Amino acid sequence: MLSIDRLSLRIGAAEILRDVSFDIGAGEVFGLVGESGSGKSMTALAAMGLLPRGAAPSGRVAFEGRQILAAKERAMCALRGREIGMIFQEPMTALNPLKTIGDQVAETLLVHGAAGRFEARRVAEARLDRVGLGAVGAERFPHELSGGQRQRVCIALAVALRPKLLIADEPTTALDVTTQAQILDLLKGLVDEDGMALWLITHDLAVVADVADHVAVMRDGALVEAGRTEAVFRAPKAAYTRKLMADSTHVPDRKAGAQSAPILEVSGAVRDYPAGRAGLFGPRKSFRAVDGVSLTVRAGESVGLVGESGCGKSTLTRAILGLDALQGGEIRLDGERIAAPAVPPPLRAKMQVVFQDPFGSFNPRHKVARLVAEPFHLTPVPDIGARVAEALEAVGLAPGDAEKYIHEFSGGQRQRIAIARAIVIRPKLVVLDEAVSALDVSIRARILDLLAELQARFGLSYLFISHDLSVVRAVTDRVLVMQAGRIVEEGATEQVFGAPAHAYTRALIAAAPRIPEGWLAA
Amino acid sequence: MARYFLTRLGSLALSLIVASLVIFAVIEVIPGDPASFMLGLNAAPETVAALRAELGLDGSLTARYLSWVGGLFVGDFGTSYTYRVPVAELVGARLWVSLPLTLYALLLSTLIAIPVGVIAAARRGGPADYGIMGATQLGIAIPNFWFAMLLVLVFAISLRWFSAGGFPGWEAGLWPGIKALTLPAVALALPQASILARVMRSSLIETLGQDYIRTARAKGLSQRQAIVRHALRNALIPVMTIIGLQFSFLLAGAIIIENVFFLPGLGRLIFQGITQRDLVVVESVVMLLVFAVILVTFLVDIAYAAIDPRLRRGGGAR
Amino acid sequence: MRRLPGQLWLGAAVTAVFVAAALLSFLWVPYAIDGIAIANRLKPPTMAHWLGTDQFGRDILSMLMVGARVSIAVAVVAVGIGILLGVPLGLWAAAHRGAWLDELIMRGNDLIFAFPSLVIAILITAVFGPSAFNAILAIGIFNIPVFARVTRGGALSLWTLDYVLAARVAGKGRLRISVEHILPNVANLLIVQGTIQFSLGILAEAGLSYVGLGAQPPTPSWGRMLAESQTLISLAPHIAIFPGLAIVLTVLGLNLMGDGLRDHLDPRLRRLR
Repeated sequence: MLSIDRLSLRIGAAEILRDVSFDIGAGEVFGLVGESGSGKSMTALAAMGLLPRGAAPSGRVAFEGRQILAAKERAMCALRGREIGMIFQEPMTALNPLKTIGDQVAETLLVHGAAGRFEARRVAEARLDRVGLGAVGAERFPHELSGGQRQRVCIALAVALRPKLLIADEPTTALDVTTQAQILDLLKGLVDEDGMALWLITHDLAVVADVADHVAVMRDGALVEAGRTEAVFRAPKAAYTRKLMADSTHVPDRKAGAQSAPILEVSGAVRDYPAGRAGLFGPRKSFRAVDGVSLTVRAGESVGLVGESGCGKSTLTRAILGLDALQGGEIRLDGERIAAPAVPPPLRAKMQVVFQDPFGSFNPRHKVARLVAEPFHLTPVPDIGARVAEALEAVGLAPGDAEKYIHEFSGGQRQRIAIARAIVIRPKLVVLDEAVSALDVSIRARILDLLAELQARFGLSYLFISHDLSVVRAVTDRVLVMQAGRIVEEGATEQVFGAPAHAYTRALIAAAPRIPEGWLAA
Repeated sequence: MARYFLTRLGSLALSLIVASLVIFAVIEVIPGDPASFMLGLNAAPETVAALRAELGLDGSLTARYLSWVGGLFVGDFGTSYTYRVPVAELVGARLWVSLPLTLYALLLSTLIAIPVGVIAAARRGGPADYGIMGATQLGIAIPNFWFAMLLVLVFAISLRWFSAGGFPGWEAGLWPGIKALTLPAVALALPQASILARVMRSSLIETLGQDYIRTARAKGLSQRQAIVRHALRNALIPVMTIIGLQFSFLLAGAIIIENVFFLPGLGRLIFQGITQRDLVVVESVVMLLVFAVILVTFLVDIAYAAIDPRLRRGGGAR
Repeated sequence: MRRLPGQLWLGAAVTAVFVAAALLSFLWVPYAIDGIAIANRLKPPTMAHWLGTDQFGRDILSMLMVGARVSIAVAVVAVGIGILLGVPLGLWAAAHRGAWLDELIMRGNDLIFAFPSLVIAILITAVFGPSAFNAILAIGIFNIPVFARVTRGGALSLWTLDYVLAARVAGKGRLRISVEHILPNVANLLIVQGTIQFSLGILAEAGLSYVGLGAQPPTPSWGRMLAESQTLISLAPHIAIFPGLAIVLTVLGLNLMGDGLRDHLDPRLRRLR
């Protein structure tokens, strides 16, 4: 049905795609996998005729025999939405904030002249009902909906005219794992019921293994491998595919933490946020983000804290780091109480943090030497230069990198620098706040190895905060599951993942997509 | 919506109170004794005493402030010392020149700028865009009063299409009045329209880069449909802020430009007030100008709520 | 270093010409401007008087050169006032986001926005009499909220970044973070805004001296030259045209420079490279 034949694409001097060829048949689910920057999204935009300005495609893209690249804009407008629908990664910004969701779904019918105003409204309501938003109401505005609900609206408007092909570009990447499972189920349901083909673009091999009939693997603008999903997973031909699969399930080589003295003790922590007034003169309401949380991290141990967005893990992290005060309970670090915001520097120096975003974590105007040395503000030492060089060397960078600016480094290198900054003052505890979540799988695997190595070398304790269950399972000794401000389950990692006791933990584990056991070549 | 409206109304009232305090302080407190200031150094003590009594300067500061503000509420702006007539009367006649001029210019500026900005954004990088960007770059750099002089030189002195100045009064009919205000309004509007067109252009370009425009295009909307149905209303939100700010620039500009065209507006009144040290006139006219600006800010805030549902429903936007 | 955009060079060159003319006027002008030569009045441009003479027979080029001093001085000092007061206020407000202090600073800003610089000038002049100092004060006061807003806006987005959190984890206080991490990263915004306010200041000064609220005779200023030319415009258009052109070119030069700087310094563009 969709046939892409030797598609190449350049934007200015940059070569984005090279000789990409594949076909998608009617009613099939096709998965296109690759790391960021591999050109997956550009391939989809080429098929939609929505390439950015200045893009120069060559080759052939045909939909049911009609040439897309050469098509007139008017013909493409008639095709888009009616025969090919598309949804995107970020549901929070994908809808016009000024129009009701019903209007935005109905618009698909109206622009194609498929229905009158009244009929379009009726169909829109029916489609919203189909995607599971019947109870929400067509009169709502996007800002009143959650991310998962907004993605459902996007699906409803993309499939309003029952297109033959739906392109889904990282549709669940921005969503929580349980929401992701629901959206994938919805997409599968639409494929089964309406005979629609689905072209799923993702970085996540497990999602593809779960959903796709056929899969193609993309790297640096070219396909390295394509075939039936099970065949590709069981017997990958390309070295890159094998490496991708190994990295995505990578378990770093590490020893379990010894049972020793506690380094971090949180007991009965409570943190409220003001949530605006009830009425104009009503009392201020508050929202309890962290509700009686207790946890312990022992010296040399890795403890995982998992939970979905909004469960309170970020709030708890800020309290542990001594940035925000608690309303109840207490936090002790190495036996001393942390009373934010006035934490004595020597106490603060026992704990450092690595954040998620490798791009926002550094002041772009400072050199690496100064960035890494920042924690010495807490405990000044005479030989800062030598200590910085040592920390850089420990994370696998050259001491000469200290004189460079941060924009000269890639995302993975930046995360290494962030780790160097965290360990440079030899803290006892390092809080890893989604520290590998923004990284591609191959880089993630190397960073996890590095963390394991540093833990053994410096005797660090890790508090590993993440929404990614597979990573937490691979690198922690014990794990805590957080939901709505409370810890619902805790225990040894293998025990919690192997035999979850709480219903929420079971739901989380069931929702996480996994490559079937037998598919992974040893 | 009601809550948003009430908050804005409260902020309007607060701004007015603080603004009136500032004006009162500058005019009546800083000079020490306003009466002797107004009469100059050579005034006889009896004359000063008489003026003090007339202005009610013998009361406490609080009492004077309250009586001034109380007067403003009922339209009593005091009596001009130089003209010997109520300031309300002086202002009333002149307001009907300055205010229509400002609104005329605001209307022209908006009507010119929005389509021009939309065209430039839609043809971004094309010859139309370059032409518009060049013309508006020049337009921003031209002082409105000088532009007014050039307009007089061309359209009044050389071509004789318009008179070089003066105002026939609204009694003479609507059309002669509008005609007399046209050159001044054009002179005021074009530089502001240049700014507004650029804001419109960049706002629309930014909006066109948003994810929901891509969603709309993926639905099958053409570029033009996406602009009209989705981008325009979103792009107008920052433009409205600028339109609100422009009101105050245009009002100030009107006061200056009245000099070029010999228009009997607030500008002439206030500059005469300054030269003759008629503080009563200055104080009230300044308060009126500031009131107008604060009122427009309030109206723009209300317009936001009309256009943006995130503000309408109890401030759900974070 | 990337190539600087052409408009930046053009704008900087035009601005430099006017600044140089103003500086040169301290040492030398083609003709003294305090002499009145009625016989020589309202002469159109000639080889002797490149831009002609005014109603008192003074050389217009010399008048413009001296007038440039006032325009530039007023605008520079007014921008200085805006930066010196506005930037710390903006940094302070951003560092205490949502607290009463932030609220107070922002409300105060809104209030100043309700007083266009002309109105401030009117108030000051009514009490202290007209002078160039008034113009500086009026334009400067109006610049404070402009810089406070730009600084706060830029700073707020920086405060959400992880490197600020990292600095807090390193035990640094708000003041230190504002100076070390926030200010250097809003500097680009401030440079661009400074150029814009500089050009607006030139325009505002011209407007104020046109209505007699700025520099007083005998100090020549572009705005007053235009005011004095007004009744003579049909007799000798050149005396109205050249001061106007001087204003337009200066403002144009500054705006081109500002746009060029924005393109050059914009962090969003930089990140793409």
